[in-house]
Order: sequence, then C-alpha cells, then structure tokens
Amino acid sequence: MNTLIQVSFALVTALIVGSAMMSVTVRNIIHAALWLIACFFGVGALYLLLEAEFIAVAQVLIYVGAISILILFAIMLTRQLETGRYMVTGWRLWVTSVICVTLFAAVLIPTLLSHRWNLPAPPAAGGSEQLIGPAELGRDVVFTYLLQFQVVGVLLTMALIGAIVIAFEERARRRRILTLAEEHTLQQLSTTRQAAPTPESEQPPAPSTTDRE
Amino acid sequence: MYDILNSVINMTFGWGWPSWLISLVSHILVATILFLIAPLQMLFLTYYERRAIARMQDRIGPNRVGPEGLFQPVADGVKMFTKEDIVPTAADRWVHLIAPCVVVAPTMLMFAVVPWGPGMVPVDLNAGLLFFFAVSSISAVGLMMAGWASNNKFALLGAMRAVAQMVSYEIPAILSLLAIVMLTGTLSIVELIDAQAGLFIRSVDLPGVPDLGLGWFVFTPVGFLACVCFFIAALAEGERTPFDIPEAESEIVAGYMTEYSGMKFGLFYLAQYLLNFLLCAITATIFFGGWQGPGVGWLFSQAITPTNLDGHWIFNLLAGVLGVSYFLAKTYAIFFVMIWIRGAYPRLRVDQLMEFGWKFLIPLAMVNIFSAAIWLGLTRWGAPEGLALLEGWTPFMRWATAFVVTLGLNLASYIMVGRIYAATQAARSRAELEDLRDLALSSR
Repeated sequence: MNTLIQVSFALVTALIVGSAMMSVTVRNIIHAALWLIACFFGVGALYLLLEAEFIAVAQVLIYVGAISILILFAIMLTRQLETGRYMVTGWRLWVTSVICVTLFAAVLIPTLLSHRWNLPAPPAAGGSEQLIGPAELGRDVVFTYLLQFQVVGVLLTMALIGAIVIAFEERARRRRILTLAEEHTLQQLSTTRQAAPTPESEQPPAPSTTDRE
Repeated sequence: MYDILNSVINMTFGWGWPSWLISLVSHILVATILFLIAPLQMLFLTYYERRAIARMQDRIGPNRVGPEGLFQPVADGVKMFTKEDIVPTAADRWVHLIAPCVVVAPTMLMFAVVPWGPGMVPVDLNAGLLFFFAVSSISAVGLMMAGWASNNKFALLGAMRAVAQMVSYEIPAILSLLAIVMLTGTLSIVELIDAQAGLFIRSVDLPGVPDLGLGWFVFTPVGFLACVCFFIAALAEGERTPFDIPEAESEIVAGYMTEYSGMKFGLFYLAQYLLNFLLCAITATIFFGGWQGPGVGWLFSQAITPTNLDGHWIFNLLAGVLGVSYFLAKTYAIFFVMIWIRGAYPRLRVDQLMEFGWKFLIPLAMVNIFSAAIWLGLTRWGAPEGLALLEGWTPFMRWATAFVVTLGLNLASYIMVGRIYAATQAARSRAELEDLRDLALSSR
C-alpha cells in the first residue's frame, strides 16, 4: 500500500507544482486561471490522499466549484485590459527576479530552519486510527473555535452587504436596455395613445429600479 | 469486490498477491464496469425520452431502427462518430479540445458514490453526499471553458447562463439536502439508505416497525418539502426544460455547444444525459429509499455479509437483483416526471429563473431546515438536551407530534412564501408596465 501512496503522492505533487508554475508563466490570462483551477484540484487530491475526505470535498466544492468560477467571471467581464502590457523584459527582468527571489528567500529560509515541525508519530501498525469526521469538525467549530467562526461570519456578511450596495449603485446609474417584447409593448403604447408631444430628450431618464426591489 | 478478489486469488488459487495489488485491481474492475454501464444508461435514456415525449405530443417517435426503434440511439452514436470534427479557426484549440472532457469526467466521477443495491456501492465515502455535489460543480468550469474557447458570442452567452444557473441552484439543492442530513446525522449515502428501512415512517424513530423497506423520507413532511425543492433544483442543474435557458435553441442556437460537432458534441450530450440520470438516481436514493423496497431487507439479512458469514450466496444474488431493479425503477420513474415536465411547461426567462431560485426555493429550504430541527428535537432529544418534558411520551406520541407540527409549519410557510412571491411578481410586472408607459410618454 505504501508504494501506491508514494506514487500517487508524486503524481499529485507534480500536478500541483506544474500547474502552479504554468499559471504564473503562461501569457493568456484565461489559461492562467484554468491552470490555477488545476492546481486547486491537485490540492484537493492531496487532502484526499491524507484521508481528510471532508476537507478534500470542501476544497473542491469551494475552490474549484465556486472561487474559480468567480475568477473566470471577473476576467471575462474585464476583458478590455490588454494582455502582456505589463510585461517586464531585458535587464529589468533579471533585476526584478533577483530581488523577488532574495526577498522570498529572506522570509522562507529562516522559517524553514527555525520551525519545529510538529509531526505526529506514525500510527502503530494494526491499531485503529481515529479519523476526524465532519461531525467532530462541526463540534469544534461551534464549541472550541466559536470566536474565530463568528469573526469570519461577520466578515463574510459585511462583504455580502458591500457587494449588494455596490450592485445597487451600479444599477441606478445604468440605462435600461429593453427586450424585444418590451419594445413591442412600447410601440403599441405609443401608437394607441397619441399623447401630446413632450420636449425632445435624447436620454430618457433611467427608471429607478432600486425602490421597488 | 476486494473481498471476492481476495478470496479468489489468494485462497482459491493461492497466488499470494499483495493487498495493494488486489485493491488496485478491484478498483480498476469496478471502474471499468461503471464506465460500461454509464453509456448504456445514456443510450437507453435518450430512447426513453424521445419515445415518451413523442407520446405526449401525439407523435410516434423513433420506431424504425430495430424492434420498436430500440437501436435508434446506437445509430445516432454511429452518426456522431463518423461526423467531421470542426474546430473554428478563431477558437482556442487546446481549451476547445479539453472542455468536453472536463464536462464528462465529473459525471463519471459522480458514479463512484451511487449505490446500486444492498452492499453494491463502488466507494462508500464518509462524505459521499458532499462529494457528489462537489464533483458536479466542477462541470461548470468545463462549460465556461467550452463557451469561452469557441470564440462565439452565442457560446459565451450560453456558458454564462449555464454557470449562473448552476451556481445559484446549487444552493437550494444543498440546503434541502441539509434537512435530510440533519435527520440522519450522516453524509454517507449508504447510511442514508439504511435509515430508510421500515414502513411508511422512519423506523429509526419508532421501534418495532416491520422492515418493509418503505420508510422513505418523502413520506415525512420535512422530506416531502425537501424532495420538491431538491427536484426543482435538480431540473435546473440538469438543464431540463423549464430551465433549459443555457441552450435555448430559439434564442442562442445551442448555447455553449454551438461550435462543437461530431463526437465532441456527443460528449456534451453524454454528459448531460448522465447528469440527468445521476440526479434522478440521487433523488431516488435520498428521498425514495434507493434500493429499499419490500423484501430486499429480508433477503439481504440471509446473505453473506461481513457481519453474517454463514449466509448463502443465492440470497446475495436475489437481494442484489431485487435491489437494483427497485433502484432503477425509481430512477426511471423520476426521469419520467422530468420528461413529463418537459412536455408540459414552457421555458422560463432568465430573471424569472433567478427570482424563483433566490426568492422562493431558498426561503422554503431554510424553513425546511427549521422543521427538520423541530422533528429531530421532538423525536430524539430528551432531558440531557433540555427537553425533559418529552421524556414521558411514548415513541409513537413523539413521532405523531413531530409529524403534525412539521406538517403545519411546512404548509403554512409554503402558502405564505407562495403568496409573497406571487404578489412581488405581480407588482414587478405592474411596475415594468408603468416604466414602459413613462418611456413611451418621454420618447414621444
């Protein structure tokens, strides 16, 4: 069983590292996002290899299923941005990479050297290993880590309210786009009711959609 | 599978293979069987749907190829294979190529946790139910890839619609399942089925009920509302007709698969029907007891299982056949309801779709979670949880109270939410008409 686990571990890490490298080196921003999704998926597989089923499934559900979709939507809605405009080339590239690597190493190497790895002892052979399931996780969240849980909840709620406020502001400024059926009704209305000519206005006032929601 | 292979290889032949090899071989075998079954299901479902919808529309449907047109799907498959594969010049070749695989692979993975009969589950994951929905959400990425890589406006529109619909209808689906998970206290699909033995009521709540395998969740008020919410959300996730906005052929050609032809289009088609089959199967499993039915429990108790080693193998076979036939009958019946809805309802508009999901289904699912909590408290809790009042009641009394209270709550909330929803819809259309009138006045 051990060889199998090691082989799968090697494959999964190769996937994670490779896709992470690709996602930062590839030119096309959508391709970068897709490689990032592959990386998320690999991390999920790694959790599964650690027998943390619930975390693995949650990783796939949240990162692959939701966050990546959000990233893709965000990229597609802001597609006017030119790709490759901020590329650094020539000697600047070398200077930048040296500075970046030095800074990264300055943080990473002392951490790696001084950190005491809190590795659990391998379970005794034959003894049944108690794995933490979703029920225990939930209990820990509501009892042991209640404060952290609530802080995260408040943060997410604030983000949600902020998103709604921004969306409403956008909506009030947006000009109404009519569907075909509405245009038809509009025509009918204007032909049936020969209203008195009002002063010509180029931009009809945007109907306020906020107050009736 | 592991046990069978182990006994055959190491006991009978005495080859002494290591356990990892046996488990690898057994998993590969199970995966192969599933990959053989899945396309067959798809072939059958397309034929079934075309015949049924034809009956509803007073037509005959495919009836030329083979007896009663049974080989029509095979002919269609051959046609798909022999068609030319066209990739648009402006398309992103690699993403265009990978997208169908990203859509099909999750549906195949979802088969891993679906139990077909007693003891016949490919993998019994602890978080099987969550796995099912997590994996199903991956295909949204594939749809997005397909829509973007085709470099076609209709494809991109279709992909955006599909993803928006999938993401927003995942929420009511999971919320309605949460009520069931609360009742059983498990995320494992196998244990969910085990909790549905008994007779029209849940035997876990009431002792001394004969095991006829009819204790389906759909017979309880909580389960019924959850079932309705889940089924509607499943229709939206499988892009079935009232919610087939992403591929509305009268608006945006074929949505995200506009630029696909040949077998790549076939793969999308396969993924869609497999997803529909799986959604029907999971509905049958969670709310209609899966393989549970009269007789299966008794047969399986006589069979060879890890807890009962001196059973007879014939009972394994009988229980398996009966369980699988119950399961498939329920799944096809639910698929028939899907076809029926397709024959009966027109397509929704995008804004109607979103409003229905967010303003009607999600509130109902939330109320249902509350009802599930009441059910749980009334049937299981006692003095330690602070409900000492219930200690003296008989189990039947507790069960009946829970039934009546949750039924009342669910009915009242359904009527209330429905009224509010109808009122907002009416107000909205009135306001839209007034806006139009204002526009007409100002543009004159």
